[in-house]
Amino acid sequence: MEFKKKNLANGLNVIGEVNKSAKSAAVGFFVKTGSRDESKEVNGVSHYLEHMLFKGTERLNAFEVNEAFDRTGAQFNAFTSEENTVFFAAVLPEYLVEVTELWIELMRPALRDEDFDIEKNVIKEEIAMYKDLPSFDAMERCRSLHFEAHPCGNSVLGSGESIDNLTAEQMRAYFVRRYAPNNMVLACAGNFDWGQILSIAESSCSKWQKQAAGRKLEACGGSKKKERVEKPNLAREHICLMSAGVPAQDPRRFAASILGTIIGDDVGSRFFWELVDKALAESATMQFGAMDGTGTFSSYIRCSSENVYKVLDIVRGIFSGLSKNGITDDELRKAKNKILSALVIKNELPMGRLIDLGFNWIYLERYRTNRGRHQ
Amino acid sequence: MAERFDKHVLKNGMVILGEPMEAVGSVAFGFMLPAGEALLPDGCCGAGGVIADWIFRGAGDKSSRQLCDALDGLGLHRAGSVGSSHITIGAVLEADNLAQALDLYADIILRAKLDEDQFELARQLAIDGVRALDDDPRQKVMFELRERFYPSPLGRSTAGHIEELESLTAESTRAIIKNNFNLSQTIFAVAGKYDFDAVCQQMEDFDHPQAALEAATRRETRDEGRGTSKYTHINNEGAQVHIGLMTETVTPADEDYYNARVAVSVLSGGMSARLFTEVREKRGLCYAVAARYHGLKSAAGIMCYAGTTPEKGQETLDRVIGEFHRLSEGISEEEIERAKVGLKSSLILQSESSSSRAGAIGGDYYILGRIRSLDEIKSKIEETSVDSVLGFLRNNAFGDFTVVTIGPKCLK
Repeated sequence: MEFKKKNLANGLNVIGEVNKSAKSAAVGFFVKTGSRDESKEVNGVSHYLEHMLFKGTERLNAFEVNEAFDRTGAQFNAFTSEENTVFFAAVLPEYLVEVTELWIELMRPALRDEDFDIEKNVIKEEIAMYKDLPSFDAMERCRSLHFEAHPCGNSVLGSGESIDNLTAEQMRAYFVRRYAPNNMVLACAGNFDWGQILSIAESSCSKWQKQAAGRKLEACGGSKKKERVEKPNLAREHICLMSAGVPAQDPRRFAASILGTIIGDDVGSRFFWELVDKALAESATMQFGAMDGTGTFSSYIRCSSENVYKVLDIVRGIFSGLSKNGITDDELRKAKNKILSALVIKNELPMGRLIDLGFNWIYLERYRTNRGRHQ
Repeated sequence: MAERFDKHVLKNGMVILGEPMEAVGSVAFGFMLPAGEALLPDGCCGAGGVIADWIFRGAGDKSSRQLCDALDGLGLHRAGSVGSSHITIGAVLEADNLAQALDLYADIILRAKLDEDQFELARQLAIDGVRALDDDPRQKVMFELRERFYPSPLGRSTAGHIEELESLTAESTRAIIKNNFNLSQTIFAVAGKYDFDAVCQQMEDFDHPQAALEAATRRETRDEGRGTSKYTHINNEGAQVHIGLMTETVTPADEDYYNARVAVSVLSGGMSARLFTEVREKRGLCYAVAARYHGLKSAAGIMCYAGTTPEKGQETLDRVIGEFHRLSEGISEEEIERAKVGLKSSLILQSESSSSRAGAIGGDYYILGRIRSLDEIKSKIEETSVDSVLGFLRNNAFGDFTVVTIGPKCLK
């Protein structure tokens, strides 16, 4: 395992972890932009833009882009969160150069009006699809309630209304500000030739213009508000809880992640024994989410209407018990084992490694080996 | 490096399969127990899920809590599933802890406590799981689809039916375990970093209760014919209409299997495939639209999902069916080439994961009676051509479609 990095003159970070024994390689662009970087007027633009990058460049139309990926047999996709937009692909090593060149080309998209108009329908279908997923819907409402006016409460997808009103012109302006080389990381993991990838990046990305692509960081203690939404077509209660956690840059993030596992891992956690094992709730999980300058603990619980008060009482009991008595050594040991082995397993695949590698650089500008965390 | 597979049959008849992987530090294993939903008695649909939960609620000398703590202490990640033919219970973990994990799993399979009070909890969770499907129409539509498409009992819902779950008792469920946890018909698959001789020796030394050895031979699947109902609509006042669609194709053992796989890949292998291009890219009808091959040992189908807002539902369904039919009219060389590259690439990418390999070798052995090497699969994919795929499609024209929709509006 060998780590490589180079910061180009325009600020683009190129990083890689070479593992010659891997059968595949993965490559991705990590763009430090998401719904928290949007104004109300353009809410949803980051995610919509992620879709539009696949619609082509001055040289390629959308069909040609799709064909170019599929010719390499790449497993590729992209996702957008509150603060990152990530484009990734896993391929056989012989196709890595081709796919890297394709991603680089797509990072300077045409953003044509006619593609923008057709894709608007797809975005609105995606919004509708998530409306039919109450676990997602409740979490999104909870996030917005927790963060209130803080930009991390912005919806990633946007609303039907914000998407309807968004123009291609607004998207192009947002693109120029946010897809600046100094706001992006190009990462590779697995079996590849670092020198070759770096020279492609240097020759193709150096002309990209640096921009002032900052982000205002403000802490958020959370609103502590409650909201209940009733929908006649739902069969179960979907409960989300959110509270403040530590930021991604805070050394206590490891402790926070262990705490999330102790309280809300899907098996063997406090939620599991008190709620799921006793069949009071069929699902009860908690996760720590490290973010840029802030962080959250978020829980999702699904149960019957009859059990809802009992479940909430138990959850309160678990939280107050923790603040009074803390955790046990045994809980700590088990949580560490679970987190460590999950890391090992995930990082055996170049695709899994790529994601960790990219995010470590985005948040910390640091390389961390697979081992070493949580020890 | 040439691939190597390990195989050994224990005295009790259980087949032990292995695939060593040089590059990993993990190991994945699975016990495929012949207790899938299609093999269970009538009237207890969902029992598989209850059993898969109940057997973990205490085993050997350990209570439910002690057992869970022991598994967690090994940093083990459970991987279990209930399918049409098997309940598979297994895990992925760091290789050093394999022997300890297998001891715990031997207890779970052979010496589960099966306490009455724990049964009630496992059953309640299964019932709640079925109710929760009403809030997840996208998943529910696929359960409903399989149930209507496959000849009974092959397509039985692995989530279960509420009334049948309610009538299950601890006693009737214990009887199912006794009859179906038949080690002579159990397949054990392991992949990653392991010592095969040590694994076989450890498994041979397990203390088997006589009951498991003498368990009844599992019953054969009956074929009661396809359901006659071709279109079913389930009303739900949601934002989208969720469309599930399935049509018959050849099974994994059929000589045309790879032609079928390539055909499905032309239809829905990547983003340049027909469904994505025609339904999403050109018309913006859907966000999610995809088809995949779904094969059991004795029946198989091509399964498709599309979700769209109600006013576009009819056009989406018509387009999707249109694309199935249009496939046999012609396929270009480039489309076949992309489909083949995609299939080969995904095969190799999956081969880096110990969990995927353990699942694949176990599945192969059950369905085909042998393990296919990656080289064999690659060369079979290579052998397909425009002519072979079109020939296959013409001889196996897509005829009947089983369609299920969930949403605010019924389609035609």
